[in-house]
Amino acid sequence: MGLRATLDRVAARAPVPVFAVAGVGAQAQVDELLLQPRLHLVDSPAAANVLLIAGSVPAHLTAELARLHDGLSRPRVNLWWSLGSSVAPPMPPAVEVHDVDPSVLVDAVVDTHRRLLFGELASSPPVLPDEEPAPWRGIGPYGQGGTGMTGGVPYGRPMAEVAPDRDGLRLDQLTVRIGPFYARFPTGLVLEVQLQGDVVQQAHVVEASEGEAAVGVDVRTAFRDALETPVPVSVLELERARSHLRSIASALVAHQLPSLARRVLRFASNVHPDQSEDVQRLHRLLRRSQVLGWATSGVGLIPSDRLEGTATGPVARASGIEQDERATDPAYVGLGFEPIVHDGGDARARMAQRLAEAGQALQLAGRAGDRHHDPEAPLESPRGRLAVGDLPAQRLLPLLPAVLEGMEWGDAVSTVVSLDLDADEVLSLRSPDRELPVP
Amino acid sequence: MLGPLGAALAVFLVVTIALIALRSASDVIAGVGETAPERVPFLGGYPPDVHAWSRFHARYYVMALLFLAFDMEMVFMYPWAVVFVREGGIALAEMGMFITILLVGVLYAWRERSLRWA
Repeated sequence: MGLRATLDRVAARAPVPVFAVAGVGAQAQVDELLLQPRLHLVDSPAAANVLLIAGSVPAHLTAELARLHDGLSRPRVNLWWSLGSSVAPPMPPAVEVHDVDPSVLVDAVVDTHRRLLFGELASSPPVLPDEEPAPWRGIGPYGQGGTGMTGGVPYGRPMAEVAPDRDGLRLDQLTVRIGPFYARFPTGLVLEVQLQGDVVQQAHVVEASEGEAAVGVDVRTAFRDALETPVPVSVLELERARSHLRSIASALVAHQLPSLARRVLRFASNVHPDQSEDVQRLHRLLRRSQVLGWATSGVGLIPSDRLEGTATGPVARASGIEQDERATDPAYVGLGFEPIVHDGGDARARMAQRLAEAGQALQLAGRAGDRHHDPEAPLESPRGRLAVGDLPAQRLLPLLPAVLEGMEWGDAVSTVVSLDLDADEVLSLRSPDRELPVP
Repeated sequence: MLGPLGAALAVFLVVTIALIALRSASDVIAGVGETAPERVPFLGGYPPDVHAWSRFHARYYVMALLFLAFDMEMVFMYPWAVVFVREGGIALAEMGMFITILLVGVLYAWRERSLRWA
């Protein structure tokens, strides 16, 4: 038996390396795939053989999706998990799974991967043409020489610009666009950052690529329903606890603590009003984690004056702003609701804030009885005030540039994760002028 | 048979050949980077606009210098250990002064924020 065949047989027994893209309304389902031991969710397409597209990916991300696809190692395959969406991804998938049950998906992924390795399924060919952006050629007769460090434009890309750094040296500044499928960011978020080494000198949020039409996001969640119809408070509070716990799990994944993240996710998928004490236990566990403490304390500090009036929910309350729409919501009168406030203002405080609020939400859900939220009353979503045409992400994204400036890249990622941006909101926020309005 | 030099050379040769063989086998089997878009580093979907060869501040530079200073200090401590047996307390006091001066230097660098990474 050949070496290749032996290696394929070994690889077929290992967890399948999957790069997952969460389309519209699919973030939670994709996050929960972390609980599947037969899948190995990877952060880079080069480490994956299966490109899993969950939900629908807007058509304007076709070019980026094609680049992502070509970045996958061969043999590769793209698989679509429709999750109730009828809009097929821009690239025709080799395999489609229409069942929402994750175990059906896992079976399909494992089977597809096995067939791919054993040659029963052909590796999907490159989508983009095999062309360098421009040939590397300097001014000399052998392609050497020219201006800049090495001359010419290596592989069609100019050398980095020089800019002063904090020590007064003039060093190269790399401009890179991260996103829209960067594994730790919500799908659709594109950050243009100027890096010197791993220090972010400047960052801004890039909006639509070329004056694209807005993406209509029509995903039913308890909170979006609550904008139109009366929804039981207990349902809203359980959903809030779930959302906060999922956000904490994402942060733990970003800090390379997947086992803790699995524990939190498992808890999030079976939340129950009687479990507020379990949340306390989780809180103690996370507070004891030194690694998490070092990685989050003092990171992504947002002073309270920058959050005044933004109604950004847990982010604002973690900076000491006592603002919560539930305080004025008649459905919460008599439930003993008091906004929880932390005063750290950093990623650690935001995590503590979400844990405390998850525990509080479970208690409220237990006490709520058959109270209903009135669609006319103000609505506090897990990410802040939510109203028609007034999304929390719209108020969170403009905070990013100033916060990220001067940070190391790793801390910048922790900061973005700690804001808990909603992928559907980010996808729906696209304006033709490419820049977000600064409040 | 092989002397010690020959044995070292043989180990070096075998390791080099094994490394090259593993590297080439990995490239052949994996089949990565066959087309230009497959070779591009992953940034989340956008292609890089600027080439990645860039000069950046090696921030470990100050730490490396500090390490060297204390490393050399340790070298001085070996002969000092011999002198310490003969001279006793005076040698201890002298070494204490030497280390204190170095430590004051570190504290000064710390105050001047030259140990700041980002």
